[in-house]
Amino acid sequence: MNHLPQAWGRPRDDVYGAYDQSHFQMGGPNQHTQSPIVTGTSVVAAKFKDGIVIAADNLASYGSLARFTDVKRLRKFNDQVVVGFGGDVSDMQYLDRLLNSLDIRENYGSDGTPLNAKNLHTYLSKVMYKRRSDFNPLWNHLLIAGLDGEDKPFLASADLLGTTFSAPTLATGFGAHLAQPILRRSIPDEAAVPNVSREEAVLLVKEAMKVLFYRDARSMDKYSIAVVTKDGVELKQDEKLESQSWAFAEGIRGYGTQVN
Amino acid sequence: MASVFSGAPPQSGPGYSFKQTPTEAPSGTRQHGFYPYTDNGGSTLGISGADFTILAGDTRHTSGYNINTRYAPKLFKIGGEGPDNKGASIVLSVVGFAADGEALKERLDTIVKMYKYQHGKPMSVAACAQRLSHILYGKRFFPYYVHAILGGLDEEGRGALYSYDPVGSYEREQCRAAGAAASLIMPFLDNQVNFKNQYVPDSGSGHELQEKPRTPLDQNHVLELVRDAFTSAVERHIEVGDGLQVMIIKKEGIMEAFHPLKQD
Amino acid sequence: MFIARSEYDRGINTFSPEGRLFQVEYSLEAIKLGSTAIGVATGEGVVLGVEKRVTSTLLETSSVEKIVEIDRHIGCAMSGLQADARSMVEHARVESQNHAFHYNEKLRVESCTQAICDLALRFGEGAQGEDSIMSRPFGVALLIAGYDEDGPSLYHAEPSGTFYRYDAKAIGSGSEGAQAELQNEFHKSLTLPEAEVLVLKTLKQVMEEKLDSKNVQLASVTKEKGFRIYTDAEMEEVVGRLPTN
Repeated sequence: MNHLPQAWGRPRDDVYGAYDQSHFQMGGPNQHTQSPIVTGTSVVAAKFKDGIVIAADNLASYGSLARFTDVKRLRKFNDQVVVGFGGDVSDMQYLDRLLNSLDIRENYGSDGTPLNAKNLHTYLSKVMYKRRSDFNPLWNHLLIAGLDGEDKPFLASADLLGTTFSAPTLATGFGAHLAQPILRRSIPDEAAVPNVSREEAVLLVKEAMKVLFYRDARSMDKYSIAVVTKDGVELKQDEKLESQSWAFAEGIRGYGTQVN
Repeated sequence: MASVFSGAPPQSGPGYSFKQTPTEAPSGTRQHGFYPYTDNGGSTLGISGADFTILAGDTRHTSGYNINTRYAPKLFKIGGEGPDNKGASIVLSVVGFAADGEALKERLDTIVKMYKYQHGKPMSVAACAQRLSHILYGKRFFPYYVHAILGGLDEEGRGALYSYDPVGSYEREQCRAAGAAASLIMPFLDNQVNFKNQYVPDSGSGHELQEKPRTPLDQNHVLELVRDAFTSAVERHIEVGDGLQVMIIKKEGIMEAFHPLKQD
Repeated sequence: MFIARSEYDRGINTFSPEGRLFQVEYSLEAIKLGSTAIGVATGEGVVLGVEKRVTSTLLETSSVEKIVEIDRHIGCAMSGLQADARSMVEHARVESQNHAFHYNEKLRVESCTQAICDLALRFGEGAQGEDSIMSRPFGVALLIAGYDEDGPSLYHAEPSGTFYRYDAKAIGSGSEGAQAELQNEFHKSLTLPEAEVLVLKTLKQVMEEKLDSKNVQLASVTKEKGFRIYTDAEMEEVVGRLPTN
């Protein structure tokens, strides 16, 4: 034994050979998150006449391993906001704690208007931008759904770079490729929103979730869906994809049972 | 300092039992570095006239081949009063990395608003232009990844237009295109605004050729140029399209207009 | 007048029960011990004048610097503790250069005065958590003269951090008499040469020594020439113009 505590409790060189200390990160610079570990896939959302529908499945993947199958990725903030999380799950849980403390701070005083979706989006995008500027990103892509200051439907996104944008329909991750075109077919622009009923919007988002389950290998058929209107948030966290039909698979090479 | 507290055994010094201390990270492990920038596409353009300045930008916001949204403005009023900048007389346009653009806009806007409180007068475009340059240069080693164009009216009421590179080099110009389709639009502007490669007919050949004299352009004519520039850019660049946001700065105030562009 | 003050004399950050800050009030007294300084603003520009107390025949009068330049377009005259003024002027110079650097334009005279007054209260911790940088208030008052886009202007800045704009203002030991004189003699249509004479005439009345071109100093700020301290020859010329009696 010597005076260097780093050396204590390690296997002896003369018995086990030189110790592999490659995991020490030899005196290099501090490293922050370089890639996400346990991840959630797409979040999809669409505006309708007097509110927003948002959905995300309940899977958290570890690479290609479906690691956790009951992870809720929609978070109700208050009676008018739901946040959907794509990307790293531990960063999602950090943001969840952050939102909890924000909520507690906001509710200390009894009066005052609650934070609306627009407020929360501004807040979260500044958190995301600050962390990317510190080279310590929160590896997420968020959708913030709810109502703005005038009780109108609000839907916007914020990602790990602090990039923000808003549109009548949004989808993160794989959903940006697969779900967004489907959503846009029904709700092409802001002008179309007043003509979309709640039922239509829910159906549309469920359809998008189904397509994602068919085609996204890191998705599952159990999902959460929330509807935000003036009357509050309706969040269901144990939905099952309905009326699946894999008949199409037979017609696609390598998808069904036949090989060629 | 990092090396002192890293928990790694010292690399040199006496009597340490682990002799073969690796001096570099083991090869074979792949590092996925975090890259803090992205390009959100789009283009902007500004032209200054005798008593006006026009700024324009498309409203498409992209990530790679994805269209994130068809309406994300790139033009921002700077200064004025309140969150909707009432009475502002300066416009900033930013194209490149949208998150940096947003951050830059908010910094400049608060500075211009604070200036009015501190000095009891609205900031001039010239002052704002110099300030913006310093804001950009202040992040010389972690730049705002944007091409900014600042427009307004100068002290004499003439159109003023300043263009920037991401680290703060700036210049006052007659016209400037920036962003994804800058290379498509700028030559068109050189020809149509500054009459480059246009000569007086029958003025001779070679060095005798006389350049077409530059004349101040009429506002409606400039607006036509702007719209033509963008409809053409939309045809040839995938990151440009959806909508055209235009702001015209005159002594009466800022007029804002929106024109649809092709969404394909 | 000085009853029951001792309790609150020491703490510079402590109000007395009557709501007064004694150390700040005392700093105003320090100015009344200083040499007289006068400023007069006209349409053409501002004239500053100070008396130099030549305490010894061996004193090199040119080393008494009571009027200094802040920027090409701003200058100031001081009365009170000279050393304190140095740090205020230094601050104003940096502020002015900074403004020109960041905004490519001249700092306005009012903004310059405000910048100086911001410093005046730094004997306490700042509102944004800045540390206290001085153990006591400044013991000097300034007359800040300048020419900006709004024309010529004259400001008076006190150790308390308050400032006012004046057409004509006198500070220092002879300020009461001088101010009364300025009150009588000032009018809006004064020319610059008339203002020079008014400043010297007023100084002459309140000075203990006999006024000559060596124991007073003039400076002016105009649009054309900016801030300028008068040369010995110019001083003699102006003194020569004084009515003899």
